[in-house]
Amino acid sequence: MAIPGWELLHGVDTLLAEVVAGRNLVRHWVRLCVAMSLGAAVYGAVLGTWHGAQLAFYDALKLPLVLLLTSALTVGFAWTAAVVLGLPLRFGQVAVLTFLALAAGSLMLASLAPIALFFNLSAPTPGPSARTAHNLLYLLHTALVGGCGLGGTVALWKAMRRLDAPLRTLRAVYAVWVVAFALVGGEVAWALRPFVGSVYMPVVFLRPDALDGNVYEFIFTDILPHLASWL
Amino acid sequence: METLSDLPPNVPQPRSLTGVFNELLIRPLAFLDRARNGGQASPFRMIAASTLCYALYGAAAGFFQGGDQILVAALKAPLIILFTLLLCLPSLYVFSAVAGAEWTRRSFLAVLAGFAGTLALVLLALLPINWLFSSSSRHLSSATIIQFFLWLIALGLAWRFLGKGLQATGARGGMILWLLLFCVVSLQAATVLRPVLSRKPGGAIFVYGKKSFLEQMGNVFEEEDKEAAQKAAKKH
Repeated sequence: MAIPGWELLHGVDTLLAEVVAGRNLVRHWVRLCVAMSLGAAVYGAVLGTWHGAQLAFYDALKLPLVLLLTSALTVGFAWTAAVVLGLPLRFGQVAVLTFLALAAGSLMLASLAPIALFFNLSAPTPGPSARTAHNLLYLLHTALVGGCGLGGTVALWKAMRRLDAPLRTLRAVYAVWVVAFALVGGEVAWALRPFVGSVYMPVVFLRPDALDGNVYEFIFTDILPHLASWL
Repeated sequence: METLSDLPPNVPQPRSLTGVFNELLIRPLAFLDRARNGGQASPFRMIAASTLCYALYGAAAGFFQGGDQILVAALKAPLIILFTLLLCLPSLYVFSAVAGAEWTRRSFLAVLAGFAGTLALVLLALLPINWLFSSSSRHLSSATIIQFFLWLIALGLAWRFLGKGLQATGARGGMILWLLLFCVVSLQAATVLRPVLSRKPGGAIFVYGKKSFLEQMGNVFEEEDKEAAQKAAKKH
């Protein structure tokens, strides 16, 4: 039997055909969970290296957790939204499809690990004077993780195109699922911060204020007013 | 657009390396076709020849300062490109596979070598222009900007091979993002292997110090501003 995730890179057709037919759903779901966790752990380990081995270890645990939690928190809504929008899928099929998207994204992330490591190693060591380096790394990792998350939905769209439903319905369901991933994924990642690590605060697994305020409040009350004051 | 099915069957293997490079320009997919059908494609030979072209291109860039910097730049240009290729290899494989490419070891190596070869050919074609601007530029900032634009042109044209090759293997859409990633990584590789275009008299060939490429670009312009201010102060 091939390693989990192998079928996403080779012979995805067989996997997709089985998902559409509703066969071996539990087996595929478990394999996708393993592939997602492994890929994210590899990238997570690299992500934390800027701050040292401790954060690298924490991130290797936390990044898989972000993806698994995002998939788990959205799967119920994804199934309901699909049914409401006219795509009557089984819950198991939706579970495999939603996990498939993030598993593909996770493999893409793992493939970017050498590049991320290169950028981390060529950045100045963390400290109050390395604020610019921190911000640049933060932007880079956010772009890579977000980009791979979106890239993973390509696999989802390919799978959805095989379903027997009007293109308009498929597009609507796809859009709703992607928006749900993005909104929930952003908040889960925010709650499980730090990933890159602060230049002022010590390394911790979770911040004490992890669930005190959400990412969107932060964007609207801190970032946007700060940008507006520049203009 | 040319696809593998458009090619005549059993495309003969060019005898010399120049023939292989010529074929890359005229029938870019023939190289990939031979690799997929078990014919001789010799990707490692093509990468070796491309390395030589990168070195020549680097030497031309070294004319900005002249002297032994020509040799230093000739050494660093292949290092930058090959290091970038190495770092971006896993993402090329995974991104294209997710986009639908069906790879074998031979076809992947052929596409990689074809991309490296096309890039080498374009850089070789840009070499006289590179030499002209490098020899005549007075400011490091303008030489850096020119190198950046030439590099963008080379990458854009090398995409001609890579895009076709990826499409022929089944990848659909989005792979231009990989090229953008390749470009960003190459800029950081050039920063890590700095100084490439010029160094202070008696300065080290490699500068050890962690820096992002954006900071490095900023520093180049800052130094130019300082020099200009000093000259203006002397005049007055």
